[in-house]
Amino acid sequence: MHLSGAFRQRVAEAWLEIRENLGRSSLQALGIMVGVASVLGGFSISDSNQRRSDERWRKLGGIERLNVQPAAAMRDGSVTALQRANLGLRNADAVDGEALNSKAVHATSVQRFARARLRSPNADQERQVSGIGGDFLPLNGYEVEQGRAFSMTELARGAPVCLLGAEAASVFFPSGDAVGQTMRLGDFPVVVVGVFRELVFRWRDGEPNAMAWRNRIVAVPSALVAARMQGDRYERVDRMTFKIPELNLMEGFARDLASLLKANHRQQDDVRIDDIAARMRKRQSQGQVYNLIFMLSGILSLVGGGMVNVNIQLASLSERVREVGVRMAIGASGLEVFKAFMTEAVLLTSLGSLAGLVLGIGFSKGICMFLDIPLFLAPGSFFAAFFVASAFGVVFALFPAWKASRLSPMEALRYE
Amino acid sequence: MSAVIETRGLTKVFGVNGNAVHALRGIDLVVDRGEFVALVGPSGSGKSTLMAILGCLDSPTAGGYALDGQPVEGLSGGALARIRNEKVGFVFQTYNLLPRATVARNVELPMLYAGISGRERRERSLALLEKVGIPEKAGRLPAELSGGQRQRVAIARALANGPALLLADEPTGALDSKTGAEVLGLFQELHRQGHTVVLVTHDPAIAALAGRRVELYDGLVRLAEAKAA
Repeated sequence: MHLSGAFRQRVAEAWLEIRENLGRSSLQALGIMVGVASVLGGFSISDSNQRRSDERWRKLGGIERLNVQPAAAMRDGSVTALQRANLGLRNADAVDGEALNSKAVHATSVQRFARARLRSPNADQERQVSGIGGDFLPLNGYEVEQGRAFSMTELARGAPVCLLGAEAASVFFPSGDAVGQTMRLGDFPVVVVGVFRELVFRWRDGEPNAMAWRNRIVAVPSALVAARMQGDRYERVDRMTFKIPELNLMEGFARDLASLLKANHRQQDDVRIDDIAARMRKRQSQGQVYNLIFMLSGILSLVGGGMVNVNIQLASLSERVREVGVRMAIGASGLEVFKAFMTEAVLLTSLGSLAGLVLGIGFSKGICMFLDIPLFLAPGSFFAAFFVASAFGVVFALFPAWKASRLSPMEALRYE
Repeated sequence: MSAVIETRGLTKVFGVNGNAVHALRGIDLVVDRGEFVALVGPSGSGKSTLMAILGCLDSPTAGGYALDGQPVEGLSGGALARIRNEKVGFVFQTYNLLPRATVARNVELPMLYAGISGRERRERSLALLEKVGIPEKAGRLPAELSGGQRQRVAIARALANGPALLLADEPTGALDSKTGAEVLGLFQELHRQGHTVVLVTHDPAIAALAGRRVELYDGLVRLAEAKAA
């Protein structure tokens, strides 16, 4: 930007004016500062919290998932023959579902739960066993730390292999050499082929690990659960999950899936499809509501600050009337007086805004520290806070500046 | 000799209709370049109103006024401000310095409005303070100065843009007689150097120092001494 000499002069003059009236100027800047700090602080805290929540979803394997679970078809009365003849949610449903829209669905997984007695040389416990199939690991945020994942063949055939969560591995094989060992699952042996990386997520430092239960997992191929533990040749599943990265496709897919499953299940609504994306949209709109509230409270404090500013300006104007008269007598035009007042106001607003940004950072840092969440500052919040405050500063400066510029030099000089 | 002030039938009416006050009722006045004129008269005679119009702080209700050969009736506020800046130097009874600005900055202010660069402003303001005899006070605030010194600052400020006319309104009214005499001496000195000075006063002794006396009464010129030779 090219700064003309006259403009630089005016800024220098305004700066002198500010320094010569430090008390009044700091009060004016303070109003803007608090407003900016509250807008920025509010946004940052909301952003930081959202960040935190997003991180949790990422650790859970992403948010773009559609879960399907079996549900009771019968609402009241007794079960009809048709309903009793139904087989519930089956592995075949997942295969059909994926085929429904292979472009939208990027991954599919199934889960079948069972309880079993688990034995190793070190421990003997009754636990839940997860029969997993499809792309279970990436869909649920599990990573193999030692050993390997199941092969396609193992999954398809229901091979006697298992994967242990970090907690399970430390219970059954405390010396850390789980991979390659054999443990007993009910009455048959399985070989541990891999151990998952420990999943840790704490909302705040010092809080217990919110994902501890996920480290307890003992995973085997779902086909193994169906064939060896439950003797279920229909391969019924307790949950299937579709990964649909394009969230706008999810709703249509859920609709198609519902009608497909209904057709597969003899026209019975015996599944529940829950749409994580819908939850996320809700959460996002909640975030927007919070941002709106923060923005509003910031704007309100700016309006308050602005009115204080107008007051100070008008009060100082009556103090300055004679001064304006003197300036006019020695050659300042009304326009010049207006420009001087505005330059001073803009300069004060900018200084106040900058101080407010610093204060806002400190403010959000303090709150985030109190909440024990990492601070996240979005550049957009800075712009929003700065822009809003500057706009208010200028708007609220217009009236006093206009009033000053309209003074008649003679009356201003005689003003007592 | 050209006229710095030339008025014809200046009238000024304050208020409207029923309670109108006729402050000036037709003033014809000519002041030539280099004159030292004392404008005298009792209070309410219209001195201050005339001075405001002569200084382009106010506009006449009717009549014509040319300042330094330039007619000023009907000029816009901005144009009048420029004329005040370039052609008129005011000295007030109460000094009217900006209290929180240094002496040097007070003197620089008219030059600032004239768009003069910072370095030249500083040089000229120091030269002017030298001329009025207080160069060592440049960095002080007005409150740290005595009344006489403050009035000297005001005179330096009035001279800042080399005005065609120095207008002083009771410049010694707030000073003791000794300092007042010194300030008047300064005006006489400026007059000798060729400045045109119009001084408003109600003190006959002060008026006697001027080259010519113009007496106002009830908004009219009651007595105008002949121009000095």
